[in-house]
Amino acid sequence: MTQSTESDQSDQIREIGHDEYDPVGTLALIGLYFLILVLLWFFMYFVEFLGNEPTVTGLLLSVVGLA
Amino acid sequence: MAKPTEVRTMSEAGSTYIDAFPAEAKVVRAAFYSSFLALAIGGLFGVVQTLHRTDVYRFMDSADYYTVLTAHGVLLAITFTIFFLVGVFTWAITTSLDRGVEDIRFTWAWYGLMVLGTALVAIPIFAGFTDSIDMSASVLFTFYAPLQAHPLFYLGLVLFVVGTWLAGVDWFRSWLAWKAENPDERIPLPTFMVLTTTLMWYIATLGVAIAILAFLLPWSLGLIDSVNPLLTRTLFWFFGHPVVYFWLMPAYMMWYIMLPKVSGGKLFSDPLARVVFVLFLILSVPTGIHHQYLDPGIAEGFKFIAMTNTMFLLLPSLLTAFTVVASMEHGARQRGGEGYFGWLKALPWRDPVFTGMALAGLMFAAAGFSGMINAGMNINYLVHNTFWVVGHFHLTVGTAVALTFMAVTYWFLPQVTGRALWNRSVALVQVVLWFVGMTFMSNAMHRAGLLGVPRRTAEPQYDGFEFEAAVGSVGELNAQIALGGILLTLSLALFFANVVGTAFNGKSDSLPANGYAETLSGSEDAPLVLDNLKLWTAIAVVLVIFAYTFPILSIVDRGGLFGPDVNPFPVSLDTLPVLGLVLEQYVTTALATAGELTGSIVTEVTP
Repeated sequence: MTQSTESDQSDQIREIGHDEYDPVGTLALIGLYFLILVLLWFFMYFVEFLGNEPTVTGLLLSVVGLA
Repeated sequence: MAKPTEVRTMSEAGSTYIDAFPAEAKVVRAAFYSSFLALAIGGLFGVVQTLHRTDVYRFMDSADYYTVLTAHGVLLAITFTIFFLVGVFTWAITTSLDRGVEDIRFTWAWYGLMVLGTALVAIPIFAGFTDSIDMSASVLFTFYAPLQAHPLFYLGLVLFVVGTWLAGVDWFRSWLAWKAENPDERIPLPTFMVLTTTLMWYIATLGVAIAILAFLLPWSLGLIDSVNPLLTRTLFWFFGHPVVYFWLMPAYMMWYIMLPKVSGGKLFSDPLARVVFVLFLILSVPTGIHHQYLDPGIAEGFKFIAMTNTMFLLLPSLLTAFTVVASMEHGARQRGGEGYFGWLKALPWRDPVFTGMALAGLMFAAAGFSGMINAGMNINYLVHNTFWVVGHFHLTVGTAVALTFMAVTYWFLPQVTGRALWNRSVALVQVVLWFVGMTFMSNAMHRAGLLGVPRRTAEPQYDGFEFEAAVGSVGELNAQIALGGILLTLSLALFFANVVGTAFNGKSDSLPANGYAETLSGSEDAPLVLDNLKLWTAIAVVLVIFAYTFPILSIVDRGGLFGPDVNPFPVSLDTLPVLGLVLEQYVTTALATAGELTGSIVTEVTP
């Protein structure tokens, strides 16, 4: 079997130079990633603080008399 | 204004790596095969562990679990990764400088030293499986004192690391020779990446070199009676965190210089890639203490500094996410992709080299989140030493690095053997199977960690206590871990089928030419200061001094250079009852003292 692992360069249908290229898709993907990160951070609040006994923050709050 | 850079192929247009550099191709091939052998054995041990831990299938004694775990960790985290990357780096230097190594005998010498070191490390580890040989090294990948290995283990590690140092000398030698002939040219990007990574490695390995040569090796030889465990741990993590970048930076290199090419596009920005590697050189080392957030004896302030440095490390990784995705998108748009997300469909998903690397990158994005949890001092307390951490590094080194390495193997193998890849469809199934297997295994490991399931434990099942899952059950998590482990093993089998099949394939004349991605914004756009390696090394050293001087002084001040009297603990069943007795004695004494103390307090406060 003779197979090339090189992606087929003939699939290229146009040449996009530095100045014509606007990576909006990258913006969209990275934006989505940040959104997921933010949601996971919110989720982490429930995992750490509501599912378990208070840890460092709980101690701090009791020290300063807030809880 | 960026100019398109010249097409980078080898001196003979259209030739493969083995055509252009036949002697170097042999070394690179030998390094790859050494790496694959370690992957095969280490991978097999991986599935043995998943089945044992989850109690799906146990065929060995639980005491042997730790020997298996040591072999799994050392063979995969050190041998597999580093042998592969020295191969890739040698390829990168010779290809991008377009010159052979200065002396091929020297190149074989460092490779030979690495092989010798690996053999010396492997002998005591494997001897741990039998009682007939009186040696063992079941000290896990981290070899924390008071766990003590046979001296051969430490000696082998030293030789292996010295081998990598000499490899670095070889690469620097090539660059200096090239620079003498091309004084006004910018360092080619792949060479720049190799040199910055090597400099980082030199700084990082000083920690482990001191830990072994000054303390652990003399201790295991009986030359000194005791060590300070916190000091050797700290020196280990001085090396132990940057070692992850030693694995990761070659994977990044592949994402920067190969992924754009296989996507059908160009690297978005050479200057950004340089900035990323400079940041890794500067920030990789002064962060190791974040592995020791729960170590008593290191002040919280020092841990806070390590946390700050660690969070800064997110910067080069996020820069990489942007540059690499933008380069892929460039390829997709040149292939006709449109829209905000539609361009993803135009990517070459049938190419295993592309798909493997893209899926590895996707997994790395998930690892970014669990890494942030690990790095945060307070949230770390929740997951420290739990299965969560194991889930995390199976996403980073176990997928971002390992899957990238396997994927690029499908490009490299034809280059270094002159033979066509045996089967591209099998390769595609292999990379996808790895992704699916790891999704099951790693996700379940993370969740189990949140329940408090410990890591490094042969039997995390306890009498009279059960881990409670808020969603699902421990049985379901175990099933996912075992299933994931089996899928990963199948994926490995397919990988080796391709490696062996390719080795026995006929020579081919129609292989793609050696080369790497062109750039949209090239080195001419990068500020000259980026190539000032002396400056960045100096800054890196200063940061290390800032981050480590006071913690180490304070550790030595408290515990002594050679520590309080610590009894070495070679892991064998004979010593367990003895240890049990000693522990019992300590606990009884402590309880008695506490009782007396309470009694006296009660007497004092009672009017």
